[in-house]
Amino acid sequence: MKITELFDRGEFVVSAEVGPPKGIHIDGLIEEAKKYLGGITAVNVTDNQSSVMRLGSLAVCRQLLDAGLTPIYQLTCRDRNRIALQSDLLSAAMFGIENILCLTGDHTSLGDHPGAKPVFDLDSVSLLHTVCQLESGVDLGGNPLIGDPPKFAKGAVVSPCSDSIDAQLAKMERKVLAGCDYFQTQAVFEPEKFIAFMERARQFGKPVQLGVIIPKSAGMCRYMNNNVAGVHVPDDMLDELAADKERAKAGITGVEIAARVIRECRPYCQGVHIMALGWESKVPALLEQVGI
Amino acid sequence: MLITKLKSREDLQSLLPEKVFVLLCNGCKEVSFPEQEIEELISEFLTADKVTGVLTTDYICNPENLSLRLKRRRAMIDEADGVLVFSCGVGVQTVSDLLDDKAVYAGCDTIRLPGFQGVTPLEYDCGQCGECYLNITGGICPVTACSKSLVNGQCGGAQNGRCEVDPNMECGWERIYRRLEAVGRLDAIKCPTQIRNFAIDANKSH
Amino acid sequence: MENYTKYRLKSSEELIQTLAGTDHIFVVACNKCFKEFTSVDEPECDEFAALAKAGGKNVTGVIRVDFLCNKTQTLGRLRDIVPAETENVFVISCGLGIQTVADIVQLPVFAASDSIPCRGHHGMALTPKTCDACAQCYLNVTGGICPVVDCSKSLLNGQCGGAKDGKCEADPTKDCAWEKIQQKLAKLGRLEEFRNHPVQLRDYSKVNSKLISDYVRTIREKRFEGYYGGVHPSERKEMSAHVKLVRFPEPDVVVIPLSMHAGKPSVPLVKEGEHVRVGQRIGEQAGFIGASIHSSVSGTVLAVEERRHPTLGPGVLSVVIQNDKLNTVDESVRPHGDIEGLTPEEIVEIVKDNGIVGMGGAGFPAYVKLQPGKPIDAVLLNGCECEPMLTADYKVLLHYADDVIYGLRAIMKTVSAPRGVIVIEDNKPDAIAMLQEKTKGYESIEVLAVRTKYPQGAEKMLIKKVLGRSVPSGGLPADAGAVVSNVSSSKAIADAIRLGFPPIERVVCVTGERVHSPGNFIVKVGTSVQEILDFCGGIVGDDVTVKLGGPMMGIPQMELDVPVIKATNGIIAYEADHTTAVECIKCGRCADVCPMELFPLYFAKYVETGNIQGLKEQNIMDCMECRCCEYICSSKIPLVTKIREGKAAVRGMK
Repeated sequence: MKITELFDRGEFVVSAEVGPPKGIHIDGLIEEAKKYLGGITAVNVTDNQSSVMRLGSLAVCRQLLDAGLTPIYQLTCRDRNRIALQSDLLSAAMFGIENILCLTGDHTSLGDHPGAKPVFDLDSVSLLHTVCQLESGVDLGGNPLIGDPPKFAKGAVVSPCSDSIDAQLAKMERKVLAGCDYFQTQAVFEPEKFIAFMERARQFGKPVQLGVIIPKSAGMCRYMNNNVAGVHVPDDMLDELAADKERAKAGITGVEIAARVIRECRPYCQGVHIMALGWESKVPALLEQVGI
Repeated sequence: MLITKLKSREDLQSLLPEKVFVLLCNGCKEVSFPEQEIEELISEFLTADKVTGVLTTDYICNPENLSLRLKRRRAMIDEADGVLVFSCGVGVQTVSDLLDDKAVYAGCDTIRLPGFQGVTPLEYDCGQCGECYLNITGGICPVTACSKSLVNGQCGGAQNGRCEVDPNMECGWERIYRRLEAVGRLDAIKCPTQIRNFAIDANKSH
Repeated sequence: MENYTKYRLKSSEELIQTLAGTDHIFVVACNKCFKEFTSVDEPECDEFAALAKAGGKNVTGVIRVDFLCNKTQTLGRLRDIVPAETENVFVISCGLGIQTVADIVQLPVFAASDSIPCRGHHGMALTPKTCDACAQCYLNVTGGICPVVDCSKSLLNGQCGGAKDGKCEADPTKDCAWEKIQQKLAKLGRLEEFRNHPVQLRDYSKVNSKLISDYVRTIREKRFEGYYGGVHPSERKEMSAHVKLVRFPEPDVVVIPLSMHAGKPSVPLVKEGEHVRVGQRIGEQAGFIGASIHSSVSGTVLAVEERRHPTLGPGVLSVVIQNDKLNTVDESVRPHGDIEGLTPEEIVEIVKDNGIVGMGGAGFPAYVKLQPGKPIDAVLLNGCECEPMLTADYKVLLHYADDVIYGLRAIMKTVSAPRGVIVIEDNKPDAIAMLQEKTKGYESIEVLAVRTKYPQGAEKMLIKKVLGRSVPSGGLPADAGAVVSNVSSSKAIADAIRLGFPPIERVVCVTGERVHSPGNFIVKVGTSVQEILDFCGGIVGDDVTVKLGGPMMGIPQMELDVPVIKATNGIIAYEADHTTAVECIKCGRCADVCPMELFPLYFAKYVETGNIQGLKEQNIMDCMECRCCEYICSSKIPLVTKIREGKAAVRGMK
């Protein structure tokens, strides 16, 4: 099922995310996904996130599909050239994967193989363009595909709380022009910024899912403030988490914060994308608090 | 503009033979050359009786002049098991070509600084991509100003206008956006999707 | 030679498309770099202008610039030249030039050209050898053949399966690099070594933006320090810097040329057989630009005849004196009191009477300099001694600091300058400290420590650094409100006032890798260079270059039977370098290092083609022959020799 169908029906689309392990055993991951994310529309599978080598997104998507869930296949342009990316897209389509998220990808220097050659043959925009090409039955080299071409719900990312909002919107426009169907945002902790962003992004006419992270601790938030681009946790939230460490550790504070953000932003977006970062078990509580 | 950095002591110690003839190239010293470190290293080698001779010269990438200058040192070179060259890779390859039957060792690693002519490196660079994007970026090169060489706009990694790879570097695409704004060319944002052609032939003209 | 031109015009279709939305265009074209300098004009500019005009565009103007990415030079060239009605600027250049122009002009800038992709980076001799600057050189593993540039896949662990008949699968005209490597290793007997190497993995993080930007920042700072251009040759001062200054033993004979100054040779006042005393005038100043000559010893005149001169060659009238070694002082030598009690005019007269000339090498009559006829803001003393190897002025600063300061005060008084600055390069921290201490009591005198960069000591560079002013083309320091003098000259002025002695002796540095025992000596004018070198243990080995002065501007000496003259600050001997000059490759280095912001490559070219008008247009007369261009020239062109030819031709034209 393509999530664009749900957007078209005007539904508030909820997705979550899982990160594959650095290994080949995913029974636990699948179990957790079935248990906590079963009620959610779709589940993203990250692609060597943060340039840390992990089990492939494509393989895990396939396993999620078999387990009855709807995966969103994330592809970055850091590790593979246009040939490999197209090949993987065809593989995904063959497996029955219908939803993708096209990203440029973090630089190799940020991960655990800093000496690796960064590819970036394509970027998020040209990757979207490439997907559209394939959907039309022709590859990027101009060669016709054999048989029915693949069809995807094509997503991309945008950072509404970034400090370079103009450049982000410019890029967003280009992604739309290149064929993007929907957007998932980087984690939002400042509803005002998100609302202001949506005022300007509305003109592109594409559905946007609000990205949320369930914060685990003040320390984690400070780390994100310093190291994760586009993510900013304001001081009052840091204080809230630091106030009662037990509640924070239990996930109660985090869920409350995330729920507040969702509630405030809800009228301005077409869905929410939850990045649980290991706290998949808290997702049901969050959804409950928000009333989904 | 090529410059050099001295290889680590461990690297050099492990690969050098008993006796070496040392050749230093000062041709690009005006840009940068690890003169002092090399001098220290050579003193050590001299003390350890490892060196049959030292020649400090310049532009050893010029094979004719290299040949002229090495003529007087032939005996010292013959006496050595190998020739240790402190120069960029072009120099080492030139020496290796000339002294065809002698083991030639590179004492340095080569780095490239932005800029082609002169001896002053530039604060911007040309990636020699062969399909100049400067028309749609207001004159700031996305191939070199962006760490990922993206040609369709910013990635999501910029923080405070700085690149995720090097926080001392401004996000190239933010700079491009500001420049386009300044010269009234924001229309360039609406250009078609750009895809690099990595197979441009250096030899074929249009 | 290979042609490593960096750009080519975009296709006509693309150009027409880009031109479509524009009009009133100004065209800037770069004259290219890294190809043989066989022609001045490059064709792309005309081609593009024609295309634009054919498309009905108004071309407001066209300019061809050398080394477009040299921002300092380009700023100068583009200033005030873009017509007001221009709306767009089209640039024909590699990406560097286009970005440079985009940085400078406020209008939309378009690329009319594409850069040309290259595999690896060439060196400075335009050979086919290139280097990919991977920062992890593999040449040690492969016997000197680069696997990164020569193998199409940049493989590091051996051949792939694609080679056919020894040729690469990607480019059948190219040899398989790994086959070549295999053959080379076999020839060198290093195959076993190769087999035992660990697996090679390329580390792409070795080339990172922080590393590069740190280098760029540091180097740019160094390059732009003080003034545009200049070079940093190895200082090589450690050979003589710590050798104690001693008095050179009295020579048996001195040969004193009647020309040790700019201007007319002096007229001899003595003849064979006459007895002379120390400080006695033996040559009369002839003409406004000229100087008196005085005897440096007491003894008998052996002859007044033509002898070899260190800068003017053979046949220069000189006074040859047999030294009686008694150092009997002439009665004309008498102190003149103190600066306080002397008027500026009196000081000038003392300086003139004692035949004091610039002791930094130029030999210009000091008394003329002391009558600038213009208001002077500052007197600058050159204590830089920017020439490599030399340590004469250094010793003067350490041993005669009081005299140097006294002389400066005298100069300041004559030109009514409110400020005196003693400029010393930072490679002489002890001299800086000494002078700072000694000038403490003088409010109007300061010591300025500057970063070492040749030719910082040249008067125009000093004025640039200290006062931030440029001396106008064809002008003199006085036009910029400054008087510049050398520290040895300053000491000479002090000696003349305080002791009454003319410059009959000076500090000379004898140094160089081929001098047996370098030293610093107080030498009587007229002492034989051969004698001095013999005293220092002689010259070591054969194939040696001997110069009077420093390695940059010193005068090569073919014969050593020449005397030390007033302006001789050094005698150096080092291994001769034999090179062959090749065609200029437009590497841009000469233009980058010329402190007068000239384009030396054009001097060589126009001398070759006899284009004297071109030489004038390139301001050849502004050249101070500092030799920075020749020092850096990758083609080993004897630029200063050509420049001198060119200047003579221009002078002949007038």
